[in-house]
Amino acid sequence: MALQDICNFQSVFEDRLTTEYPAVPHGKKIASSYVSGLPFSNNKSLFHFYIPVAEYLDESPIQFGQISTVQNCSAVSSEDPFLTSSSLPTCLPFASSQSVPLPFPMAHGTTTLAFMFQGGVMAAADTRSSCSGLVACPASQKILPIHSHLVGLTSGTSADCALWKRILARELRLYQLRHGRRLSTSGAAKLLSHMLHPFKGTELCVAATLCGWDGGETGPGSRGETTKNQMTELFYVCSDGTRLRGMLFSVGSGSPYAYSILDQGVHWGLSVDEAKSIAREAVYRATYRDAYSGNCVDMYHITSKGWTRRNREDLKEEYYREKERRKHEKTERRDVTFSD
Amino acid sequence: MALLQVTDFQSFSEVRGQILPVRQRHLVDRTNHYNFGSKTQEFAVPPGVEPSGFLKSCNRDGGVCIEMNHGTTTLAFKFRHGVIVAVDSRASAGRYLASNDVNKVIEINPYLLGTMSGSAADCQYWERLLAKECRLYRLRNNHRISVAAASKLLSNMMLGYRGMGLSMGSMICGWDKEGPGLYYVDDNGTRLSGRMFSTGCGNSFAYGVVDSGYREDMTVEEAYELGRRGIAHATHRDAYSGGVVNMYHMQEDGWIKVCKEDVSELIHCYRKGMF
Repeated sequence: MALQDICNFQSVFEDRLTTEYPAVPHGKKIASSYVSGLPFSNNKSLFHFYIPVAEYLDESPIQFGQISTVQNCSAVSSEDPFLTSSSLPTCLPFASSQSVPLPFPMAHGTTTLAFMFQGGVMAAADTRSSCSGLVACPASQKILPIHSHLVGLTSGTSADCALWKRILARELRLYQLRHGRRLSTSGAAKLLSHMLHPFKGTELCVAATLCGWDGGETGPGSRGETTKNQMTELFYVCSDGTRLRGMLFSVGSGSPYAYSILDQGVHWGLSVDEAKSIAREAVYRATYRDAYSGNCVDMYHITSKGWTRRNREDLKEEYYREKERRKHEKTERRDVTFSD
Repeated sequence: MALLQVTDFQSFSEVRGQILPVRQRHLVDRTNHYNFGSKTQEFAVPPGVEPSGFLKSCNRDGGVCIEMNHGTTTLAFKFRHGVIVAVDSRASAGRYLASNDVNKVIEINPYLLGTMSGSAADCQYWERLLAKECRLYRLRNNHRISVAAASKLLSNMMLGYRGMGLSMGSMICGWDKEGPGLYYVDDNGTRLSGRMFSTGCGNSFAYGVVDSGYREDMTVEEAYELGRRGIAHATHRDAYSGGVVNMYHMQEDGWIKVCKEDVSELIHCYRKGMF
């Protein structure tokens, strides 16, 4: 994708591309012309999306399937496309001028977390993809590496997150090819935030946490690892425009459970093993209580040498171990009382 | 309240109601509207009034901005040496903090405690009513009411007004012949017995801490520390919880109040050495 843009590769279909397609999401489609060729292959604008011709797709795809009132409120009738935003359930913060009920409920529940410490950045996430009560995939990947020193954690709608991660990866690679150096994490977060901005107010739901190491591999290491002037960066970018820098973030429906564990144990001077065990415990506790998080835990550790991935661990084992432990404690207790 | 009922004292308005024709009885005001063991079950809501509809019209959808009190964190867990009950002390009405020093534990009697979360008014009223019923039970039957029975009374009260807009999430804790007892009772009529509960909008934060640190064979000091940490971390992350941690320990011979500590000091203490 990126390389084709750079070398201005002209594909056979390019002469049929139309540039009249509006990039602004709220405009209606001008003509139902057939835009073929690769998506994003026109390097004039980022937002030329590939649109198949079909009668029901008269509106722009951004507006297709906009407002969903499915989650736990009453359903919106599909004959009324102009409902005002006051009928939105309070769980969705976005308002949109037009509403068409979603064809299926979107996936939103997850637990992802990331924190900085002296040994780099630790990122962990569960692996359950849920779709309003159904576990759509018990082994999905929510931590997506963007390049060797940048990892993104995704939360929100899985499809949106996967797409925007790829777009971000492409843009970062383009930047690297054009300027000869990698874009910093702060710049990557800003780029993602600006790319998501035109979609503000639509149903797009992306809450990404970018964890990265800036600078060359030799630079920070020579300054010593205990200094806080490290090149690790942690940013939280959200599709409603939030862009925050911090040292600890947890996103998703299971985040409150994880936050309290992290607040207890995370501090700058952690060793790598301690950090791993805290991250694991936090995700485990979130999966213990939250219905939309579960299955396995993925962990990534980002240092000056890039990211390293730990083997995916099934939390079912941990659950059974804990159950055994509790049963053991209970029998111990009974023994103690009988021996009095 | 209890003594009035036991001695069959009739206030003037009740006597007058008996003299007047039956159809006008609805307008007579009663001092106690919920009678156990009485011939008919009566509800204080006059026929024709629909509380839940009225409440809906008071929401944001109806254009009115009356926000009910809802934010809190309470937790309780059973362990070898009894039951620990820990609550925060913040009362919020929407974005406004009404008070940072509310006691959300009602001391029903020296061996029963009830916590309050949800609408403060509902909790206080219904738990006082529960206290009255527990006292009546003791007077009539000459032995203390069990925790299971007390929680059942409360849950039946809630079921009587189900769907009418009550908001209450409470934990009834006590020690009776069966040992330590902990029940969760809610405005839908849910009544659950369990080892550990946490209610309120900060409950998820408390669950993480207590699940992680709980062991059956904890010492008393460790249990106190766990309760304090649970509330402290929940108040740290949840905007609607805060103030002080009020902690009670339910022992075999009654409850004791353990401490009343400011959460900001606790958090400073726990997060020393952090960022």
